[in-house]
Amino acid sequence: MESSTEDYRIQSFDLDTQVLLKTALKDPGSVNLEKVSNVIVDQSLKDQVFSKEAGRICYTIVQAEAKQSNGNVFRRNLLNRLQQEFKGREETRGRSLQEWVCYVTFICNIFDYLKVNNMPMVALVHPVYDCLIRLAQADALMNEEEVDCLVLQLHRIGEQLEKVNSQRMDELFFLLRDSFLLQEGLSSMARLLLLEILEFRAGGWMLSSTAHKYYYSEIAD
Amino acid sequence: MSVWTRDRRRDVHSDHHDDRSSDQNRWSHRRKRGVDGSLRTNKEAEASDWEKGSYRHSDNRHASFTTPESAGPVSRCSHQADWGSQVEDDEMRRDMHIDIQRYRRRILGTDVTQRERKTSSGSSGSSCDSREGDNMETDEAVLLRRQKQINYGKNTLAYDRYIKEVPKHMRQPGIHPKTPNKFRKYSRRSWDQQIKLWKVKLHAWDPPTEEDQDKVLDNIEVLDLDDVMDIELDFPTLSEFQNAPVSTGSLSREGEECLGTPVKIQKTEEPDTA
Repeated sequence: MESSTEDYRIQSFDLDTQVLLKTALKDPGSVNLEKVSNVIVDQSLKDQVFSKEAGRICYTIVQAEAKQSNGNVFRRNLLNRLQQEFKGREETRGRSLQEWVCYVTFICNIFDYLKVNNMPMVALVHPVYDCLIRLAQADALMNEEEVDCLVLQLHRIGEQLEKVNSQRMDELFFLLRDSFLLQEGLSSMARLLLLEILEFRAGGWMLSSTAHKYYYSEIAD
Repeated sequence: MSVWTRDRRRDVHSDHHDDRSSDQNRWSHRRKRGVDGSLRTNKEAEASDWEKGSYRHSDNRHASFTTPESAGPVSRCSHQADWGSQVEDDEMRRDMHIDIQRYRRRILGTDVTQRERKTSSGSSGSSCDSREGDNMETDEAVLLRRQKQINYGKNTLAYDRYIKEVPKHMRQPGIHPKTPNKFRKYSRRSWDQQIKLWKVKLHAWDPPTEEDQDKVLDNIEVLDLDDVMDIELDFPTLSEFQNAPVSTGSLSREGEECLGTPVKIQKTEEPDTA
């Protein structure tokens, strides 16, 4: 049991909260699930490491609650918090790039893990696209942080996203192509990341071995 | 969606306001025809039901809370709803389609076996099912509404206690409540009435109040050693008395222990009924 709790990356929480989370995993009915979801969302907006993997712990709690009491309290609260933060995303971005990037990472991670009957949650599709397309705007592409976030999310969930709405994916990639070709002032790292993601999608959401060699040969796995 | 719009909607349909629009809805939801005389479609009827009964004060309702006889909170305008509701509605719709497929398969199965067994070898199955395939309710909105009403009835302590106490094969028609079959064609009024009666019947299994509990405890204390010995002797063996009916009352604990076995012989008769 200990090793799997490590997978949830909850070490960054204070000890009391860690206990709360562990209890939520085992016995969701015994804790205040609204509080648990708030704790998770708050931390995801601050902690980049956690935001990348928070989906996993959320998934487990949702399953546990459904199994124990057929309830939906945790999921409902989580989604509504996400929605709240989504509404205020432009303001968040203005305030703190890091928080904005954490939010996008988190919502994409939730999209990845929390499925309904093995299908992605319909309510999240457009919001996720909205976030990614925001990251593809000219001002955002000037920040390596945001470009990095954009390509990471596309690597992780691009294929799934395209399946549920290919039109918007086309829209996103038109932007990326145009920016790659025309936008002045992009750093070479940004251009590299964009080129890689363009090739990645063109290759059916994977890189050919030669392309992989080109982009990753100097990076230790 | 702006906060303002949501608040305005809530005001219009809240209990505290007796304004004209909610009055109109209260009148119009039973009407078959609209103001101009044209027949109202299911959708319009649905919308006013939603408006009448769907204001939501708290999203955190306890699972055992039963609602009054409305259709329950249904969000009709999904682009306005919160994500939590959207996902739940979507989930219900998907579960519904799985349900429909399963029911159809079951109907077809009965159909085929009836035709194959022309000289019947005993079991005839429920004969009305084969005809039901053609006359099944398939309107998604209707099925979803009915399912929500069923869920409200099933999310109760009474229902939990009922299914634990009376296994399906032990159910006697008329005495034991049976979940209405959402796939059968019924008029709206007929269906709503069936649901109402079903929920009323379920109340017989409501958990005892504190007063009742005190009475039970008193009875237990009064038992002396002879009574205890009697209980043990009368205790049926599991193999002999798998079908023993449960007695309610002060010796209810004894009855509950008999219930372990019958689960094996529970037949799944209807989809989605317990």
